[in-house]
Amino acid sequence: MLKNMYQKIQNNQRITSDEGLTLLQKTPLLELGELASIVRYRKNPKPQVTFVVDTNPNYTNVCTIDCIFCAFYRHPGEDGEYTYTVDHLIQQFKESAAKGVTTVLLQGGVNPNLPFDFYLELVRRTRKEVPEIYPHFFSVSEIVGMSEVSGLSIGEVLQQLWDAGMRSLPGGGAEILSDRVKKKISNKKETADLWIDVMRRAHKIGYKSTATMMYGHIETEEEIIEHLERIRSLQNETAGFTAFIPWSFKPGNTPLEKIIPHYASPTRYLQILALSRIYLDNFPHVQASWFSEGKKIGQVALHFGADDFGGTLLEENVHAAANYVSKTNTEEVIDIIRQAGFIPVQRTTLYEIVKVYGN
Amino acid sequence: MWSKINFNDIALIPIWQKLQRGERLSLEDGLILYKTNDLISLGKMAQYVQRQKNGDAVYFVLNQKIEHTNVCVLSCKFCDFAKKKGEAGAYEMSTNDILSKITPEIKEVHITGGMPHDWQWERYLEIVSSIHQKFPDADVKAYTAIEIDFFHKKFKMSIEEVLRQLKEAGLKTMPGGGAEVFSERVRRLLFNQKVGEKVWLDVHKTAHRMGIPTNATMLYGHIETIEERLIHLIKLREAQDETSGFLTFIPLAFQPGETGIKPRNEYTSAIDDLKTIAISRLMLDNFPHIKAYWVMLTEEVAAVALNFGADDMDGTVGEEHIAHDAGALSPMKLAKENLIKIIKDAGKIPVERDVFYNPLKIHGENLIGKIPYLNSVPIYHYLNSEDFKILPVTPRRLGVLFKQGTVVAGLISLIDYFEQEENLELMKWCIAARDQVQSVVLFSKYEWKNLAGKTIGVIDDTSTSVKLLEVILKKKYGVTASLERMKPNNYQNYSAVILIGDEALKNLKQSISGFEFRYDLATEWFDWQKLPFVFAVFAVSKGLSQDLKNLIQHSIKESLTKGKNNLEVIGSNHGRTLGYTSKETKEYLEGFNYVLGEREREAIEVFRNIVGSK
Repeated sequence: MLKNMYQKIQNNQRITSDEGLTLLQKTPLLELGELASIVRYRKNPKPQVTFVVDTNPNYTNVCTIDCIFCAFYRHPGEDGEYTYTVDHLIQQFKESAAKGVTTVLLQGGVNPNLPFDFYLELVRRTRKEVPEIYPHFFSVSEIVGMSEVSGLSIGEVLQQLWDAGMRSLPGGGAEILSDRVKKKISNKKETADLWIDVMRRAHKIGYKSTATMMYGHIETEEEIIEHLERIRSLQNETAGFTAFIPWSFKPGNTPLEKIIPHYASPTRYLQILALSRIYLDNFPHVQASWFSEGKKIGQVALHFGADDFGGTLLEENVHAAANYVSKTNTEEVIDIIRQAGFIPVQRTTLYEIVKVYGN
Repeated sequence: MWSKINFNDIALIPIWQKLQRGERLSLEDGLILYKTNDLISLGKMAQYVQRQKNGDAVYFVLNQKIEHTNVCVLSCKFCDFAKKKGEAGAYEMSTNDILSKITPEIKEVHITGGMPHDWQWERYLEIVSSIHQKFPDADVKAYTAIEIDFFHKKFKMSIEEVLRQLKEAGLKTMPGGGAEVFSERVRRLLFNQKVGEKVWLDVHKTAHRMGIPTNATMLYGHIETIEERLIHLIKLREAQDETSGFLTFIPLAFQPGETGIKPRNEYTSAIDDLKTIAISRLMLDNFPHIKAYWVMLTEEVAAVALNFGADDMDGTVGEEHIAHDAGALSPMKLAKENLIKIIKDAGKIPVERDVFYNPLKIHGENLIGKIPYLNSVPIYHYLNSEDFKILPVTPRRLGVLFKQGTVVAGLISLIDYFEQEENLELMKWCIAARDQVQSVVLFSKYEWKNLAGKTIGVIDDTSTSVKLLEVILKKKYGVTASLERMKPNNYQNYSAVILIGDEALKNLKQSISGFEFRYDLATEWFDWQKLPFVFAVFAVSKGLSQDLKNLIQHSIKESLTKGKNNLEVIGSNHGRTLGYTSKETKEYLEGFNYVLGEREREAIEVFRNIVGSK
């Protein structure tokens, strides 16, 4: 079995979903790592690892979707709820830009009290007042929320945001693209089909986006493959994804903690990462998620198919709410990449090179 | 074994060829390994060696670490655990404090601590003896070489006498701490009050010769060079060549904490940690085990290390002051369930062990059992383990696991086969001795006929050999002696001892003083019956699917064919751990027949009739 797979991957042939499942269930860790390396070096032949200097604030924690894997949100009117003004956020972005940040990954809450104009104004003013910063704003759930608040179609929402100056979307909110799973862990969120559909429309307008997967809760291995299969087919159609980012569910302070008390193991993470690199043969990049798996495993991930170390994430709130705190800075990211044996390269959101850090 | 590696770094290829020939790696090889960025290939090489040694088993122990005091006369720069007497935070535990920390499920108590100037020798002995008496299931692993040397100087006793009294009090093994890095340069800079390499090695070798196995460590990630690390490993390897007394090597990632030592990086990188585990596995070809000590490495890196050459995760530990005070990232306690999950997720078999690595509980199913002796290597060496997991356990234990259904295929001791015959299907392989075996030996103070009325110690591992001994005594020599199961290394209490497998081979090399006579039981049998002797047969559970039976049949056949043509290669690594050269190993393996032929079947029936089973 392994021998055939090896030949197939070396000959750049596509892996079927059955084969994907076999890789996930039966292939020893280092064999997967080896196969993933073949694909990684075909896609990104240089021994470089990219990263982006970014920050990940949240403009509101008000949310009505009630995902049981989330410890961050508050209901409208609940203690501890907050929503920042556009002025406040612009000021925050300016401070970040002064620290060298090039990308702001901004997400909610899906706050039903915010009008669509809030979002448009935020994008316009960001482009105008903080041009150093690239607005990598709003997950699919928020796009759907804007459509509901404004009565506009999803296509129209995306078009107006584009006209305001947005060019890319973060890939969050995908969790596991299977309606069975979504119904159980995020009943009020968009369906798997809708997530794909929003991304399709966005890519067709010209947006680039990432895709994510949050595993390690109630999904089956078949559903992991289903997730990968769905985004691989969409990428065939649109070529709009820049990178794939898997991470493991963090149970702290979430309702799901009662059922899933432990983090998925690092071995599992490396397997899933390597499988993703092999399976998603039409994705240019796969990111190591040092933030969710820890810096040590994030570093090891660079040998299991990842060619990107993600962002420096100067601010982050969602994992922090689950008592999972991890911090870094640009110097440390450069060190970590170097120690792993690669050349660190700072990039933009769209993978343009900012700076190569030689040895 | 799927041993194809797609090297990204071609500098590794000559090293891989050496490993496949069973050759020892040099300092230069070690430097190439440390330099490589081809982490996956390095891991695969380490895993290749690890599987040969330990199959797919990963060990852990329900243990409790005791640090009886933090008061210490030394001031080592890398330690922020030690306090001076009277200083804030200084503590000294009474024997009762210590006993109160131990619970009945604990199987290993690990004792190390500071060295206060005013403790009496009896206090140290009492710690060991009181634990030993109150918790007989908890084996005591106590006192580093530094402490042993301290006792020797302070209480004016020889090292041997210190160890003898501790052993008598109940000490089973010694931990490997205090080795740091064997380099005078580093010692002068960081721990000039510690004993250094010569004393450390002398204490351990002395312990080994007295039947006390020990561990070894290396503290890395401070100011040492890569070359100094490799020299450290090579020195340990040479010591192990002499005594074969080391059980486990434990690389310890340095935790800077408040020590004031400024290493290049705050913590060792995960890549350095994994490389060090893998390179230790490859360089220390004569060490049975490599430990990924999660308290120092973090739970996450230790988990990954299980695929990079480590086969031991230490244990539940209980409390870990030294590493924790210096800022180790791990939580204080790792529940047993968590360890089992980590090991399973790594694709390995979780094995709860005792201090000597005897398996106490196996958390797995559908396993293939492997007798972990040199003589079974030809059957298993080239076995592809992509399709099944291999568990090394001694014959007697394997019989029990077959019965429980944990093990579904493998070599089974002949006596156990007799007992479970109706549930088992015989395959056409076995381990049979022609006219001598070398590794089933009665070491005796007397000749056969003078053993009448004496007590013979029986190593706990044996199932068939003890029966063979019984019939030889009774029916060949007409002698009645009592047989008694004994704990390892307790030989002097008996008039004779029967040892099997690696333990017999080791003792043939090193001889046991006072045991003048050595009888090879296969020779005794051959002279008596003019037949080979079958010690174990290869069997599978009848309930196994035909597909799996065929797969096993096919895989073993392939492995054995290849193995028989490469005897000088496949056993050399294993042989080295027993002090055997490649040539001696080859000669030993040539003495066996692995195919169950007519003569072997006849021998089985003759033995069956004599022992009267069925």
